[in-house]
Amino acid sequence: MNRRLRTVRWLVLPCLLFVLMQEMNARADLWEGGPASANIGSVSEPLAVVVNRSNPVENLTSSELRNIFLGSRNYWPNGKRITIVMREPGDPSRKTVLHEVCAMSEDQFKNHFLHGLFTGEILVSPKILVSPTGMRKFVFNVPGAIGYLRLEDLDDSVKVIRIDELLPNDKGYKLKIQPQPGN
Amino acid sequence: MKTQISYGESHLPRYPLGMLDRVLSMGSRHSSMLLLVAVCIGVSVVGALVIRDLRAANQEAQKIYTGSVRGLQRIGELQFDAQETRRATLYALTTTDSNLQIDYADQTREADRRVRDGIDEYARKATVPEEKALADRLRRDWTAYLAVRDDVLASILEGSTQEAVHRDLAGGVPAFELVRQDLKEVKRVYGEEASRSQENLEASSRRSATRLAGILSFTFLLSTMAVWAIQRSQMLSRMQLARLQMEFVASVSHELRTPLAVIRSAADNIADGIVHTPEALVRYGNVLRHQSHSMTELVDQILLFASTEDRTTRPPLTTIQFDRILQAVLAHAHVLELDTTFNLELDIAPDLPPVLGDLTGITQILNNVVGNAIKYGGDGAPITLRAIATRPSSGSPGEIRIAVTDRGIGIDASELPHIFDPFYRSPRVHSAQIHGTGLGLAVAKRLAESMGGRLSVVSQLHRGSTFTLHLPLAKGAEAPVALATPQQSRLTHL
Repeated sequence: MNRRLRTVRWLVLPCLLFVLMQEMNARADLWEGGPASANIGSVSEPLAVVVNRSNPVENLTSSELRNIFLGSRNYWPNGKRITIVMREPGDPSRKTVLHEVCAMSEDQFKNHFLHGLFTGEILVSPKILVSPTGMRKFVFNVPGAIGYLRLEDLDDSVKVIRIDELLPNDKGYKLKIQPQPGN
Repeated sequence: MKTQISYGESHLPRYPLGMLDRVLSMGSRHSSMLLLVAVCIGVSVVGALVIRDLRAANQEAQKIYTGSVRGLQRIGELQFDAQETRRATLYALTTTDSNLQIDYADQTREADRRVRDGIDEYARKATVPEEKALADRLRRDWTAYLAVRDDVLASILEGSTQEAVHRDLAGGVPAFELVRQDLKEVKRVYGEEASRSQENLEASSRRSATRLAGILSFTFLLSTMAVWAIQRSQMLSRMQLARLQMEFVASVSHELRTPLAVIRSAADNIADGIVHTPEALVRYGNVLRHQSHSMTELVDQILLFASTEDRTTRPPLTTIQFDRILQAVLAHAHVLELDTTFNLELDIAPDLPPVLGDLTGITQILNNVVGNAIKYGGDGAPITLRAIATRPSSGSPGEIRIAVTDRGIGIDASELPHIFDPFYRSPRVHSAQIHGTGLGLAVAKRLAESMGGRLSVVSQLHRGSTFTLHLPLAKGAEAPVALATPQQSRLTHL
């Protein structure tokens, strides 16, 4: 029995090390102007981070945003539980968030949440909405929800928060959708 | 021997409505048409009132019915939407798909919007304080439920199903129960209001029915009275005509019998040899001639009246100098002078223009008028014949007025409207045993009108009467001075 456990441990540990290294590389790319930042061109479209209008938060730092989207932070300052709302896999805005905020690939992100839910570090997995309208309505209905929308999908039912004191149209705003090939 | 037959009011049937009969008799010629017009107007007015009343009642019934239907529909929709709000919220519990949950959230919010609109409409249309208070309470309770609903919905969307159920059981169910009670109360209040409206409608319907029955009864009564009055008026008219005809027959019989009796008596005396001296024979001959003349005159009068019955035929009119008229009248006066004593004064304006008329007719008119003046003017009382001409004016053509004035018994004002009626004779004349047919003035009036003229009268009781014949001037004739110098010529007959 102990022998089998030892065998499994030697198999799992390299995998975890591999995942950890991938994550560290992604972080380095994100915060040190790595390859991801280099892909954001002048034609990229800003992506607004939105919360419920009752949410008192007006600004988040990049670090806080990352902690929220990775499930490391579960409550807002007003005590409301944070509910992450994301678009379905493959959506450009989701890719942008994963890449720019979480510094993860889709698989890394999934694994991260599987691991967090399994270990109890993360309380709730992100909600998946298939349309910007659905995301907007979700954020509107849930006081602790946080999501992201293109500027063209915004309306008064949700509140746009600043990231590092910058609004989506401000110069230096980093969270932008990368142009897709063929677009 | 004279026989006086009286066909006074004692021969008329006795009715309790004597005054009404007099009124109907006075207006008998026109009352039928007037009554028919009055009935038509009355029925039209009554019909308009009935139609207006029925229309108002119908509109009121429609309004109440429409209001009831729409009110019940509104309350039903309100109840359904409230249930839909809660139902859609709970449906979100049945799935973990956030997209589907968002659809349910949309549904519950849409239903919630309709409920709020319904409450606002109910509050707007609330008229009594109870309804307004109920609307406020319903709005308050609904808002409280929505607060719980939002929390439940948020919990569902967050994925905290257990927390959502707990919140709904703890707050949503009691809050929605309050709303349900409020809606039940709304329905109860509306039911009471509908009952009141129905009672009002029933009362209004009863009032309309009563009013309609009253109006129909009034119409029936009015129509019955009108028909009765028309029939009675016609009956009185026929009775009056029959009475006049009977009086005429009696009068004519009397007028014929008197000269016939004289003639027969004179003839008997002559045949029996009682009269044999030449003087006596001459006297008897004069009597026979005078009586036969009277009979002839009477028969002529009757025939003349019969000839004037047809008013469509007019005599040929010619231009007549006034002198010819005067000569004819004076010739007749000479004849009358043989039987009675009177004093005829002439007051003729000089240079009177010619008139347009029928000499025979004019002479007959003046003979009748002068004859009446002699008959009713009293023995020896003066009779004046005055003739003047008036200038033509813009309003009326010129005319010659020939007035005959006596100073006799005069005519009562109440009798003046009837003196030109055929066969009419005044009761005073009857009682005074003054003979006549009652045709003279009727004939004179008809003759005057057939020539385009007229006959007028001015009279004062016990002071005398003036009958004036108005004749149109001949075409091209110019009237001289309006009132010529009087006393131009004067003849006196003794």
